[in-house]
Amino acid sequence: MAASLRELRQRRASVQATKKITRAMELIASSRIIRAQQAAARALPYTRELNRAVSAVAEYSHLDHPLTRDVEESEFQRVAVLMITSDRGMNGAYSANVIKTSTRVVQRLREEHREPVRYVVGKKGANYLHFRGLGVEEVWEGFSDAPTYDRAVEISDRLVADFLKPTAEGGVDAIYVVYTRMESMITQTPRVRRVLPLEVVEGVKEVGEHDIVPLYEFEPDPETVLNALLPIYVRSRIWFYLLQSAASQLAMQQRAMKSATDNAQQLIERLTREANQARQAEITQEISEIVGGASALADSD
Amino acid sequence: MTLTQEQPTTLAGTGRVARVIGSVVDIEFAADQMPDIANAVLIDIETESGTRTITAEVALHVGDNIVRAISLKPTDGMRRGTKVRDTGSPISVPVGDVTKGRVWSVTGDCLNEDASTFEITERWPIHRSAPAFDTLEPKTQMLETGIKVLDLLTPYVQGGKIGLFGGAGVGKTVLIQEMIYRIAHNFGGTSVFAGVGERTREGNDLIHEMIEAGVMKDTALVFGQMDEPPGTRLRVALSALTMAEYFRDVQNQDVLLFIDNIFRFTQAGSEVSTLLGRMPSAVGYQPNLADEMGQLQERITSTRGHSITSMQAIYVPADDYTDPAPATTFAHLDATTELSREVASRGLYPAVDPLSSSSRIMDPQFIGQAHYDVATRVKQILQRNKELQDIIAILGVDELSEEDKIMVSRARRLQQFLSQNTYMAEKFTNVPGSTVPLKDTIESFKMICDGDVDHIAEQAFFNVGGMDMVMANWDRIQKEG
Repeated sequence: MAASLRELRQRRASVQATKKITRAMELIASSRIIRAQQAAARALPYTRELNRAVSAVAEYSHLDHPLTRDVEESEFQRVAVLMITSDRGMNGAYSANVIKTSTRVVQRLREEHREPVRYVVGKKGANYLHFRGLGVEEVWEGFSDAPTYDRAVEISDRLVADFLKPTAEGGVDAIYVVYTRMESMITQTPRVRRVLPLEVVEGVKEVGEHDIVPLYEFEPDPETVLNALLPIYVRSRIWFYLLQSAASQLAMQQRAMKSATDNAQQLIERLTREANQARQAEITQEISEIVGGASALADSD
Repeated sequence: MTLTQEQPTTLAGTGRVARVIGSVVDIEFAADQMPDIANAVLIDIETESGTRTITAEVALHVGDNIVRAISLKPTDGMRRGTKVRDTGSPISVPVGDVTKGRVWSVTGDCLNEDASTFEITERWPIHRSAPAFDTLEPKTQMLETGIKVLDLLTPYVQGGKIGLFGGAGVGKTVLIQEMIYRIAHNFGGTSVFAGVGERTREGNDLIHEMIEAGVMKDTALVFGQMDEPPGTRLRVALSALTMAEYFRDVQNQDVLLFIDNIFRFTQAGSEVSTLLGRMPSAVGYQPNLADEMGQLQERITSTRGHSITSMQAIYVPADDYTDPAPATTFAHLDATTELSREVASRGLYPAVDPLSSSSRIMDPQFIGQAHYDVATRVKQILQRNKELQDIIAILGVDELSEEDKIMVSRARRLQQFLSQNTYMAEKFTNVPGSTVPLKDTIESFKMICDGDVDHIAEQAFFNVGGMDMVMANWDRIQKEG
């Protein structure tokens, strides 16, 4: 009888209540994850094609425009780091992983004497930075598990605006995004991606000596086209990352809640056993006291 | 049961054994020679190898000129009709300087030396009354032990009663030996050790350690270990206490009294009670459990200027603190140190449970505001950590808020830092013991609570003395890793 029976029952009841909640959250997450995954998958082809198109333009044209300008990494002075975390807990290490990855990025930037500027999606990330007294440029909250395109536009417009601003006036030279990639239902990994300036181009062949370089003609003029292209490109990237993150978040939530439910179940089993033992000990003791008392009385007659 | 220390005046009578059941002996006396309750009677048993005299204590008058006595030695060989002599007084033990450096039995026989080599000048009966109210010591002063967890969370009272509670095998005896080493060595006064129903081997170890350490000459040891009948185990604590009382009252000394283990005293009382045919009370204990405990504990006290500081190990059956035996003992103590299996199982020694251990002087007016504040904060952090354990077990540590995460990490450092290298554990760990002054203890725990050492890895806090040792460990860990 290590602890009293009442205490054990109380604890078991509280663990049971917790288990109900985690079980419900597990079910909710698993019902929503399919949709989130489909949304992420649907956004993929458009983002990929747009990426390729923009890359091609940047590669083959030699225009002096922020979008296509070929800047060396060492020239960055202020770098925007957008980290996509969740608004709520109960999703395992989802936010913690992103925070850890982006902390590494920021640390590396600092070591290279560049100034990181933080942008955050999700309350968890904001709380983390706020608690440690670290500055945040801007926080967006309230849509981490179900992002809308409007919010993606909002975020990317702000980032593009800061990107276009001269560095001296508080602008940034590069935009990095830390998000969680949905590899599969079981694996989600935090990733760091550079949105601007354009990174190593994917899907574009190396230009050989005898290859014919495609010739682009811009209508009405390159300036207008690229100006229009820049926000669209950033929006699609951000939108894609938000969807990927949301799907990852739900997947991790489902997994975390499943293991939480299992843990709670184990705890309940242990507490039940202890409670039963305590109850049995109490009963045994009472019986032996009654029997002992009765036989003592019988003897004294 | 209590008698004053008058010399026997009545003419001792003789009787004969009427019935023997285990260690309960019924003896018939002449109607005008009935011995008083608690008188010692001597029974001569004739065996092939000679005559053996055993002592029994009168416990009941059952009527028809028969008294029921509890034998202090095994009764094998005893027959009906064996002659019995009444000594006319209770069991008495030698007192005074002669007791120092020697090992005694419950009846005051020397166990390690031939009785003819020294002279016993004075004997006191073991049943005596507790000091009167007006002679009690009103002053309260803390006793520093140099063990961080004890000094910080359960400050001991000089001249107070200290209990070390613990289930089987969590380190009660090691801790009480550690206390003997720490306190008796720097103490200079007289120490009395009572071995009540514990392992004989441990008693033997203790004697050798004391001889090695050179404190034996100031120590009286009284043993009634596991192999003795219940009557002996019930009285051996009183024998030791009587010797301590003499040092306090006649020689006006400060005395240390160590008792290992009070639970065996209760257990023996329960055995005797059953043998006497009393109806058992809760959990099968004797009906006069609280009375018996009170009789003993009330005598262990400090009178004006002269103190008995007692340290008692108390076994907790099945780790259940609500068991009547430990529960009855609680109320008598000034400081209770609870040893917990949970802490011991994590390898943290001394395995003191920081949350359930307590002390009467845990109060700013006795120990000072700074000490009190730090101790309270340490307990708060540990309590919060305990509350969070279920959440961590179910949801994982990532779900905690930022504040709670820091709280948990500090609590873990505190738990490690509450462990300490002790002198007695050197033979287990090969790390020599350390003594941490109270001031350093308070200061270093304050540093942990304030988060000054959050950057130091947990393992640097394990099994160390002061903060300087933590820093040394941390340097080593950083160099290695």
